Amino acid sequence: MREAYLVGAGQSSYGAFPEESYRSLFRTAFEATAESVPKGLEPDEIDEAVVGTLGVGGRQLGLSGPAVTEHVGLHGVPCTRVENACAASGYAVRQAVQAVRSGMADVVLAGGFEVMSDTSADATKYWLGVSGETEWERLSGTTFSGTYAQMASVHMREYGTTREQLSRVAVKNHANGAKNPHAQLGFECSLEDAESAPVVADPLTLYHCCPTSDGAACALIASEDVVSEYTDDPIRVAGVGAGSDRVGLFQREDYASIPASQRAAEAAYEMAGVGPDDVDFAEVHDCFSIAELLAYEDLGFCERGEAGELVESGYTELEGDLPVNTSGGLKSKGHPIGATGAGQVVEAFKQLSGTAGDRQVEGASRGLTHNVGGSGGAAVVHVFERAGAADSSTGVDA
Amino acid sequence: MSPAITAVGAYAPRFRISAEAFREAWGQFQASGISEKAVPAADEDALTMAYEAGRRALEAADLEGEGVDWLAFASSRPPLAEEDLSARLRAMLAVPRTATDHVFTGSTRAGTRALWAGMDALEAARAERVLVVAADAPRGEPDDGVDHAAGAGAAAFVLERDGPATITDRAEYGAPYPGTRFRESGRETTEGLGVTGYDRAAFTETIGGAVAGLEADPDPDAAAIQAPDGKLPYRAAGAAGVSTDAIQASATVHDLGDLGAASVPVTLARALADGHRSVLAVSHGSGAGADALVVERSDEVSASVDLEVGDSLSYAEYLRQRGVITSGPPAGGGAYVSLPSWKRSLPQRYRLEAGRCPDCGSLAFPPEGACPDCGSLTEYESTPLSRTGTLEAATTISQGGAPPEFAPLQSRAGDYAAVIVAFGAANGDGVARVPAMGTDAAPEAFGAGAPVEATIRRLYTQEGVTRYGFKVRPVSE
Repeated sequence: MREAYLVGAGQSSYGAFPEESYRSLFRTAFEATAESVPKGLEPDEIDEAVVGTLGVGGRQLGLSGPAVTEHVGLHGVPCTRVENACAASGYAVRQAVQAVRSGMADVVLAGGFEVMSDTSADATKYWLGVSGETEWERLSGTTFSGTYAQMASVHMREYGTTREQLSRVAVKNHANGAKNPHAQLGFECSLEDAESAPVVADPLTLYHCCPTSDGAACALIASEDVVSEYTDDPIRVAGVGAGSDRVGLFQREDYASIPASQRAAEAAYEMAGVGPDDVDFAEVHDCFSIAELLAYEDLGFCERGEAGELVESGYTELEGDLPVNTSGGLKSKGHPIGATGAGQVVEAFKQLSGTAGDRQVEGASRGLTHNVGGSGGAAVVHVFERAGAADSSTGVDA
Repeated sequence: MSPAITAVGAYAPRFRISAEAFREAWGQFQASGISEKAVPAADEDALTMAYEAGRRALEAADLEGEGVDWLAFASSRPPLAEEDLSARLRAMLAVPRTATDHVFTGSTRAGTRALWAGMDALEAARAERVLVVAADAPRGEPDDGVDHAAGAGAAAFVLERDGPATITDRAEYGAPYPGTRFRESGRETTEGLGVTGYDRAAFTETIGGAVAGLEADPDPDAAAIQAPDGKLPYRAAGAAGVSTDAIQASATVHDLGDLGAASVPVTLARALADGHRSVLAVSHGSGAGADALVVERSDEVSASVDLEVGDSLSYAEYLRQRGVITSGPPAGGGAYVSLPSWKRSLPQRYRLEAGRCPDCGSLAFPPEGACPDCGSLTEYESTPLSRTGTLEAATTISQGGAPPEFAPLQSRAGDYAAVIVAFGAANGDGVARVPAMGTDAAPEAFGAGAPVEATIRRLYTQEGVTRYGFKVRPVSE
């Protein structure tokens, strides 16, 4: 199989943009991606496109993929829409890697978009409900926040995790997001802000939950045969892993972890030949603060039950040993469902190409992205590394 | 042959509101003789109360629903004006499809009409075991006497050809008294013209007429007389030939309010549970008509009649629970669960039927798709779960955080618990995990590890169709 490389990535700002359409947002992301390619990109060099989205303002479009690629001039390019709830564009990136590795394409555009701010609060709740287990979980009155709150309550009970530790995730991610010009909630928040915010679903407060967002993000994947036409400093897609699970939390054996993440991470580490100690930074799915803590454990950054202490220790802060969510994460940067996974790859690209500005992780040569659909029905993990970084790995098993 | 009552169950919602709360809100209270009354919770109606009482009666009789071959549901105010709700009640109580079922409505006499018909079925040997359930929650306009009196409750009776409480005598009487108590088509609320003397004449004439039709003059320890308020039954004491003490003996109106079609049934159930030897039960129905029944108890009747528990509501909370001051469901769409999809899940929602994998023996809930343990795609064997279980995970859905289907409920009933419960198989072999909504207690009562029991409540209403299904409530240890 051929190697696949990340040669460019870009995104729109995330937020509420009444003057923008899903297509114009995608155009912004596409143009930013083209500009990020060191040696430039001509649109007609793109062989294929894969786009992730859940829907457009609560509407479902049958051809939402071609609708955005034609808008940016990619007429005639095969385009597929993938949909795995909040992991839609994480899976789009994986599809792009597959297409390149298989030899079916040399240059593939992977992206995603979402418009969530143009429906009423009530209609948004209807729309968000499509990503969960509908017939039983939702009709027992549970929302996503409720499902993650159930996970949090179990994690707190089993491991003594505290609400303050949940709040520290928000404080950290806001601190990072304040350094990200694309972030939706790019302001700092204090521990007190997070603790005193209204409760959404006990124990989660408003500051433990990500916002709803508009936005788009893209990543460009190229094969080993053409990578030198785009960059002299390639970033290799070292590992890809994905996993799925029962959609409803109640159907899983364990409420205090996301097994799909564990499966995805295991596969990605194995493919990359590295372990969790070998990554320099990570963008993880923190739709709720408990999700980031679960990710620490599921991705092997710490042992089961130790995530609360890990965040408290500062280990995952920007200046820590393993900075997590340098972009601000879903919490501060925003969570436009279909764009989220690709947006994480944008941050990985910036970090590995040394263009992350104030939030640059010094000497970053290997990073991980982790994108979860629903409450864990699907997950995808990517390991990216600057070419040559493989030599520095210890090859520790995941 | 005289049919006999072999078991009774009665139910009243947990909420109570006092006459004083009405006085504070309205400056007056128009339902004499009522000190407090029961109020159905936002997720309750006549059908869910019928389920509660029916289940209690079956448990008292040590029966499962499959032992019943004739079922009646009686209410002056069924949640739907047209639809055979006995079909839903039958499914909730697991009464076989082959059983006969009936809905009785149209007047506050419907409860005794249902008893009457059940007795007929037994006497005609068209039934072996009858379950009659009367449940009601009248409503009036907020400023009128009907609403001030309106309570809520349900009673259920298992009838057989022989048993400890024989219905030895019965008589009926009808006379037209238009305008005494009526509900117009399409209206939520019952009204009356309030022509005092005329109303009283309708009440006493029909009750007197029914009692006069009995073969013998009754001399009961307790009398269950229709109680639209706390005063009228006593005014009919003379017509019914009973003392006011006998009426007071097991009266329910003073602490539960006007129970409509369940008024006489609930009082009769309480009288039997209280151990009275001889009970005269006389209903009065809007229209007007009356049924008189004489029950002679020779032995103890199995009874599950707990009507005491109560949480007090303020008047504003009362209006909220009733949905008087809340908006309707939100607009929108997405992830709509169609009625055919819903219908397929009724065995699970009503009766907690899980599936057992024939290959590896593990339980699946819902019983569809590949076995969660071994992945087998064979057909599950239907396996009922125990109705009691243990909470494994819990959260409180705070105001405004409910899925849209539940927004109206949350605005009426407030924050609620969303939980995952482990229910064991009824036969003790294996456990299934099920998501559920908490009811009947504050969300804080739903801590992990707490024991809970399942009951049936209104879940949500969409396109005019109310979806009923299980919820859980804490069990006192």
